Amino acid sequence: MLSSIFTVGFLVSLLAGTIRLATPILLPALGQIYTQRAGILNLGVEGTMTIGAVAGFSAAYKTGNLWLGLLAGMFFGMLWSLIMAWLSVTMRANQVIAGIALNILGAGTAVYVYRIIFGVQSLPPQVTPFAAVNIPLLSKIPIIGQIFFQHNILVYLSYVMVFVTWFILEKTTFGLKIRAVGEHPRAADSKGISVAGVRYAAVLIGGLYAGAAGAFMSIAYMNLFTESIVSGRGFIAVSVVIFARFMPVRAMWGALLFGFASALQMRLQALGIDMANQLMLMLPYVMTIAALIFASKKAEFPSAYTIPYSRLER
Amino acid sequence: MNSKIINSIKQFVIAVLTIILALAVGAILVWISGNDPAEAYTTLFRGALGSKARISEVLVKMIPLTLMALGMSIAYKAQLWNIGANGQLTIGAILAILPGIYLGLPTVILLPLSLILSIVGGALWCGLAAWLKNRFNANEVITTLMLNYIATYFLAFLVYGPMMDPDGGGFPQSKVLPEAYHLPLFSAQMRIHGGIVVAIIVIIMMFFFWRTKLGVKIDLIGQGDKIATYAGVNVKKTVMVAMLISGALCGLAGWNEVYGVQYRLLEGLSSGYGDIATIIALLGGLNPLGIVIASFFFSALLVGGATMQRMTEVPYSVVDIIQGLVIVFVIARTAIHFGWPQKLLRKEKKDA
Amino acid sequence: MDNLAVSMQGITKIFNGVKANDNVDFNLRKGSIHGLLGENGAGKTTLMNILYGLYQQEAGDIYINGSKEEISSPIKAISLGIGMVHQHFMLARPMTVVENVMLGKKSRRGILLDTKETAAELKELADKYKMNIDPYSKIWQLSVGEQQRVEILTAIYQGADILILDEPTAVLTPQEAEVLFDMLRHMKADGKSIILITHKLEEIISIVDEVTVLRDGELIGSKLVDEHTTKEELTKMMVGRDVLFNFDKNKKAPGAVKVELKGLSASNDKGLPALTDFNLTVHEGEILGLAGVDGNGQKELCEVLTGLRKADGGQFLFKGKEVINQPPVFYINSGISHIPEDRMSTGLALNWSLKKNLIIKKFHKAPFLKYGLLNQKAIDAYWDKCQKEYQIKAISGEEHARALSGGNQQKVILARELDDHPEMVIANQPTRGLDIGASEYVRQKILDARNEGAAVLLVSADLEEILQLSDRIAVIYDGKIMGILPAGADTNTIGMLMMGHKQEEEA
Repeated sequence: MLSSIFTVGFLVSLLAGTIRLATPILLPALGQIYTQRAGILNLGVEGTMTIGAVAGFSAAYKTGNLWLGLLAGMFFGMLWSLIMAWLSVTMRANQVIAGIALNILGAGTAVYVYRIIFGVQSLPPQVTPFAAVNIPLLSKIPIIGQIFFQHNILVYLSYVMVFVTWFILEKTTFGLKIRAVGEHPRAADSKGISVAGVRYAAVLIGGLYAGAAGAFMSIAYMNLFTESIVSGRGFIAVSVVIFARFMPVRAMWGALLFGFASALQMRLQALGIDMANQLMLMLPYVMTIAALIFASKKAEFPSAYTIPYSRLER
Repeated sequence: MNSKIINSIKQFVIAVLTIILALAVGAILVWISGNDPAEAYTTLFRGALGSKARISEVLVKMIPLTLMALGMSIAYKAQLWNIGANGQLTIGAILAILPGIYLGLPTVILLPLSLILSIVGGALWCGLAAWLKNRFNANEVITTLMLNYIATYFLAFLVYGPMMDPDGGGFPQSKVLPEAYHLPLFSAQMRIHGGIVVAIIVIIMMFFFWRTKLGVKIDLIGQGDKIATYAGVNVKKTVMVAMLISGALCGLAGWNEVYGVQYRLLEGLSSGYGDIATIIALLGGLNPLGIVIASFFFSALLVGGATMQRMTEVPYSVVDIIQGLVIVFVIARTAIHFGWPQKLLRKEKKDA
Repeated sequence: MDNLAVSMQGITKIFNGVKANDNVDFNLRKGSIHGLLGENGAGKTTLMNILYGLYQQEAGDIYINGSKEEISSPIKAISLGIGMVHQHFMLARPMTVVENVMLGKKSRRGILLDTKETAAELKELADKYKMNIDPYSKIWQLSVGEQQRVEILTAIYQGADILILDEPTAVLTPQEAEVLFDMLRHMKADGKSIILITHKLEEIISIVDEVTVLRDGELIGSKLVDEHTTKEELTKMMVGRDVLFNFDKNKKAPGAVKVELKGLSASNDKGLPALTDFNLTVHEGEILGLAGVDGNGQKELCEVLTGLRKADGGQFLFKGKEVINQPPVFYINSGISHIPEDRMSTGLALNWSLKKNLIIKKFHKAPFLKYGLLNQKAIDAYWDKCQKEYQIKAISGEEHARALSGGNQQKVILARELDDHPEMVIANQPTRGLDIGASEYVRQKILDARNEGAAVLLVSADLEEILQLSDRIAVIYDGKIMGILPAGADTNTIGMLMMGHKQEEEA
């Protein structure tokens, strides 16, 4: 048994799986970095991803075009997060509860929409998911090629976005505004920056990424839509962001860690090592708690985290 | 006139309006799905309240929901965002059923024992998150949430594995509890069981809770660490106690499910209760009376909704959507009720 | 009008039915330093917030360099050459100086930040005014004085010729204040016009060319400041009557020693020493005034005395017994009352009713707790008694504490802390932010407590208050006691001690 684990084949497929399985956590996490840096805790990512999944799947199925599916996922994810933005920024409601509410609403809405569009069918409708794209030359490298360069295009895009996110946050005026608004909204306000405007943008960007991630689940990772397709990845993404202290590259490592846990669990199960399958499934969640323990000690949260802003409050 | 009474009436009216609004949206959704809203809502209404049997179903559902919502209200009053009700219920249920399946004790010992175990289980599961918060400043939202998943998978592990019923046909469930341990039913036709007595006792206790020394302390730490410490309250200890009680009530809900309804452990034991309990706690304004009323409403919605799904073509997701809408409206209004925009309005008038 | 950088005419601003500014005129001559003087709540900050575009006036006109302007926002103000340094700094702590400056500014490189260029320009400006600031340092690494300089630098970088400084020395040590003033004089020589909002008379006299005095939202008058201007005449304008309220302080011999602090040491939140070898005694029936500039260890001292902060060493003897490092509830039960510096976040539960706030420290005791439950009747009765006695203005005891004015909030706290005839009272900045009437009331109540035998430690940055009330005056500087003076001591002597000059040995 152990011998089948330590083959090259196993390790290669494990690492490739890690990269692939990390993607649906990495994508929403990147989006949430914008949101949380701006001071908003959006627990509604889970619901947003589900909305993205149903939108992406429906669009891809009806038009036969996967890219339209992705765009639909992004668009509706963004639209959905508009509700969160309204509740957190304009209504200054409690962000934790708002997020939970949107998850419930999102799950229900997604299932409802799916039902309306597809009705009740004996065989669930499917799409042909994004195919793996072998990057020329690089994918032919033994081992390394198989691990890194034989994924579908959305996976590649996600890792590119890690760098893009870092760049936007650290090197552009917009990124500066986001950081300021999360750190010291009054200061930003006194410089004429619209705190509400920036926060809305940050939440919407988060929704965009979450919607994309949801679409990824239904049209790239799997090939259909079910109610539980997201199964907690949204929450893990939020945890990853906190664990990564809101930095894109660290978030990538965090996502890879979780991808590894999932990939390991799947491959062990496939090998017939049914060694407490469910206990393995617990692993990502236990790791999140462990991560929180180490991260929270430093407590480098944006100072205005989850605190609604009002110009007139002292 | 007593402003407390005015406030309560205001809260109640707002809650009712919220529900009506959500139901209205639900009606539109029903119509879009190609069904008749009138028929849908009638079925729903009858399914919930149409007969004694139906009402007893509603009451059966109310028990865990009310217990959990009361538990949440204790944590929320202290600004501790415990969203791990499901996990606490699950662990409570697991601990509670162990003696029932594996020990052959007389009923009169077993029932109290299992009840205590459920409380301990739920309390510890929530207390763990409290300890993490006190010791490591770990955000309790995430920890209680993660503990939910861990509990769920642990339950799955048990019922697919060591605790699986050998005569159960491979289904993920444990052995059934011997009949002696089942909580007595009030009548053969209805499922309402002895657990309701426990629930009623807890509800009555909660009516006095906020006026006890502990209740005031918990309320105070919700006002702010600084003022609580200044007033002499040991914040960390109170946080722990609040979370322990919160988890205990959810564990108790688990005892109810196992000894009163399901009589065994099975996958998905806690399904959906936790989120709804959160809504109920908030909709009820974090006070016992409001919670009982809100709990009744949601239980009716769930029971009626299930009937509606069975007897019509209306998708069950409409019920989920109505729930989600209610909470969205509530928190939009809650922001106003708890004074945030109100404080804003007061200061904004300064500019007038 | 030509030589006026700023002319505000007939400005009226109303908040919630109250006139914060009532038909106020304000003229700033180019190249001068102009003081805006007044008590807390006189309307100084409001007037300047209008000038800076944060608020809009209900009535009146503003002329900048001779032309009439509508200052609709801070951006507009900045474009007109007006810069403001607020009392509470608008700096994001984990970000660098240059990042804070770039915030809100158009970058030369479009959407990319022009960090290098901006940093270079900042360095040049900073050197010009001898500010000694590294543009790449993070804000949290800078001292308070340096942070303030960053704020000033930012304003000048944005092109400010008119600089508004709101209570700049409130957070500075005396040395840092001198450095600031030198810088201001340099800027004045450079042609900048400066407005200094302050309630400190010494500053007016030392650095200001002209002063405008506001009281209760109204303009009292403006005058040139020269070597003949006296603190008395300024105070009279500020307050409207002769200072030194006549408190009937019956001279008593000090009673027994109630509190003894020996060699006390404690650290502040940053881990730096806040109290070092701190020694003090307070007697029964006396008010010991602790004078000193904010930030010299007063906050930490009060926290140690009430169990809100751990002392690192030393002794705290209360009635002869060692009581150091106990939990807060111990001191409460020992009869030590605490009127905290920050009444809103520490002294009151803002969303609780006044009735509950009144018993916030004793809800677990009889008669307020009966058979394990809150005894509403007793709570109501207690509120009625205290409301009458302390003249608390509120619609009912059920009102949230948040709804009350500052003065009335303080009265609730006073009622709570003084009603039980405490053994010791620690009053930390008890009249901060209160108007004259409320301040007088608070001071009288503190005096009453002293007359009833309490040992009172009065910590205040308001020297007048210290002088009015204290039987003995101790001066704290850098976590140590510099000296102890009897009542009626000379202000100058106190000032010297406040600035760190140790007391001469008595002959």
